[in-house]
Amino acid sequence: MIRYILSRAAQALLVLWGAFTLSFVLLQVMPGDAVLIKFQDPELGLSPQQISDIRASYGADESAFVQYAHVLGRTLAGQLGYSIETGVPVSRMLHAAYPTTLRLAVVSFGGAIMLAAAFATAALLAPLRPLRAALRLVPGLASGIPVFWLEIVAIQLVSFHWKLVPVVGVSGWAAAVLPGLALAIPISAPLTQVFLSAAERVMAQPFIDVLRARGASPLRILYAHVLPNALPPTLTISGLVFGEILAGAVVTETVFGLDGLGQLAQQAVANQDVAVLQAIILISVAGFVVINFTVDALHPLIDPRIRRTQAGGAA
Amino acid sequence: MPHPFRAVIPLSRPVLALAACLAFQAPAPARATDAATPGGTLLYLEKQPHKNLYPPAGGFYPNGGILAQITDRLTWQNTDTLKIEPWIATAWSVNENSTIFTFTLRPGVTFSDGTPVDAAAVALNYDTFGKGNRTLHLPPSEVINNYERSEVIDPLTVRFYFSKPSPGFLQGTSVIGSGLVSPASLRRPLDEWGDARHVIGSGPFVVRDEVPGKSVDLVTRADYAWGPDQLAPQGPSRLAGVRIIVVPEDSIRIGAFIAGQADFARAVEAYDEEQITRHGDTIYAASTRGVNNSVVFRPDNPLVADPRVRLALLHATDRPDILRTLYSPHYPLARSVIAADAQGFVDHAADLTYDPALAARLLDEAGWTLDGDGWRRRNGVALALAVHEALPQPQSRSMLVLLAQQWRKAGVRLTILSGSPAMTVLDNLNPAVTPLFHAEVGRADPDVIKSAFYPTNRNVLLQKGGQSRHVEHFVDPELNGLLDEVASDTDPATRLADLARVQADILAKGYSIPIFEEPQVYAGSARVHDMRFEAVGRPVFYRTWLARP
Repeated sequence: MIRYILSRAAQALLVLWGAFTLSFVLLQVMPGDAVLIKFQDPELGLSPQQISDIRASYGADESAFVQYAHVLGRTLAGQLGYSIETGVPVSRMLHAAYPTTLRLAVVSFGGAIMLAAAFATAALLAPLRPLRAALRLVPGLASGIPVFWLEIVAIQLVSFHWKLVPVVGVSGWAAAVLPGLALAIPISAPLTQVFLSAAERVMAQPFIDVLRARGASPLRILYAHVLPNALPPTLTISGLVFGEILAGAVVTETVFGLDGLGQLAQQAVANQDVAVLQAIILISVAGFVVINFTVDALHPLIDPRIRRTQAGGAA
Repeated sequence: MPHPFRAVIPLSRPVLALAACLAFQAPAPARATDAATPGGTLLYLEKQPHKNLYPPAGGFYPNGGILAQITDRLTWQNTDTLKIEPWIATAWSVNENSTIFTFTLRPGVTFSDGTPVDAAAVALNYDTFGKGNRTLHLPPSEVINNYERSEVIDPLTVRFYFSKPSPGFLQGTSVIGSGLVSPASLRRPLDEWGDARHVIGSGPFVVRDEVPGKSVDLVTRADYAWGPDQLAPQGPSRLAGVRIIVVPEDSIRIGAFIAGQADFARAVEAYDEEQITRHGDTIYAASTRGVNNSVVFRPDNPLVADPRVRLALLHATDRPDILRTLYSPHYPLARSVIAADAQGFVDHAADLTYDPALAARLLDEAGWTLDGDGWRRRNGVALALAVHEALPQPQSRSMLVLLAQQWRKAGVRLTILSGSPAMTVLDNLNPAVTPLFHAEVGRADPDVIKSAFYPTNRNVLLQKGGQSRHVEHFVDPELNGLLDEVASDTDPATRLADLARVQADILAKGYSIPIFEEPQVYAGSARVHDMRFEAVGRPVFYRTWLARP
């Protein structure tokens, strides 16, 4: 087990380094850089001499290799550096942005699970076959709804028309409710789809017929027997989905004007603010790694077959 | 006389009734004192987060919107008369050739960290703004030219010396970029000025907190007693504070404002104005009094090197059609390079007519003839131009698209480019890529025209000698000479005459197609009273109060 964890940790480090390097290369390939974006702003009215002085002081004209060595060394020493665009330490920006994204992720993921559960139950147990078939089409449709459209409609109705929750000047969990629930709809779609197809495979198996013959209620069959068997693939896809939200729901945060990681990442890309973007990438990759590891660790707990295989393999 | 803002005249019946009701109530003093009870935090929705609060960077409206609340300047420019009036300086004198300026300071003024706003502090501010500070990366201010040094005469008297006549300096002491900050702030490197909490001014509000990119909280300074006369009566702000929240998405910012979730909002597009006034709220369109929203040429590009081509495109532009289609009455048609309420304005409306026949004739004369598909060509080369969308300008893309449609009729192709900020900056420095540029500069002083056109300033025409390394030969010594005179002639009347010559020169050479006088458009709820703006349209919340809901 320790060897397994160590090898996973080594893989994770490799992934982190790869993402860090790739993001650096991509930002280098783009024309211009953060210093140029900020200081060649005509509002500042700087002379060419002043600009070249500023560039020299930032080391902006050093070779890409020297710059890479510098940021890598600094990051390894635990320093995330300063945002060139805002002049604020990156750690402070992350500290300000992270709770927003985390709250959004929790609300939208929790909401998505509840939606998926309710919907899957209805789609599996609805009375008529055509109704069940029709219900099965809905998740596909839901995943096709553009998130930004859904969210704009949600804001217009819930906030502006019915005046239930404000979208500006709120903070904490209150700010996460409306965007979280709106985001839950498209997120619940893949969860429902994966769960439904797994559940149908399970329901086609002979032991379900046996249970039915013994007089178990459809609801009991679903929750006590189908659910545990259909959960593993759903769990895998949830890990991916949760990781994606943690990495920043860029569109949602932009529409709602939330100051989360997604918004920060979007601004960092626009301004080619390397230090900020790399810090976000590191955090997101780390988040993904942790979640995937957790999902892998959970699998044996819910699926006895995996437990047996691992035990057999170890023997 | 120019007004600080042009208020909307609502025309719908319910709004008229409301207006009548307000008109009836306004003179009643009981209501004014009753409702002006201090208190309440004004919620202000910004479109963009501030970038850097080093005062010379205050030209960017989100920066200026904060600096206008937390800093004071030596002088105040009266928004009605545009005259320079006392503020932190109670009196001043200027020598005959405008190279020595002496200011007497108001006693008892302090920065919010407790240090006095004395001659030494003011001298340090101007030494930094005038010359910059290389070790701290602080650039010099674009409004202070030829600065040499300061001298502290006594604790309340400070003197500034200039290497050349600098008549624009006095007005320069009144602009947002000359906000006075505490010596402690001036010791910070440029990077740290992004954090609003680091910027210590002497203004009526103080930064209490900020969430980077999201919000800034300002609280009222209880001992503030040194506002300019135009903002009388003296005393602390009647608000408890101002909360600035950044909401970049237009529909959410305006929607939230209309739904009553905020008191004030910046960057209202013309198409939203009607629904705001329909709800009984007010549109404030503050003039920026500077160089108009214009499309300017980069004559270094051979396609637009011939003045006949530039003038043809000017006459191929149906500006009233653009205004009718996209904008509102708050966007007056431009009648010169600078706004009609800018100092030194000369009416050139007769030179800016829409005249397709003249445009066609000029293009023919310049050798650009129509091909079979209706495009202009010369020696097989098509007259195909490109311009970048300018994000700070209202509806820039729609405006340029309309322009492209109009020029299509003259046989000229215009491509509208957009890209990442870096791409835009780089393309705009290269006349071969962008023979056109969508520009605007606000400042209520004749110097503004130099700020826009001079090679070592914003250099909108991309002359040789500026930031761009791509310019091969274009330089206009005649225009630059005139601009130098505007910046250095000490006699106000001569300066205005110079300014008239500059406007005539720019338009005669077809360097610029002025479209409209660009306002800063804000929405204020019916609760907001006594809203003021500084001379180029930044909100001033010092006198503002909120009626009880």
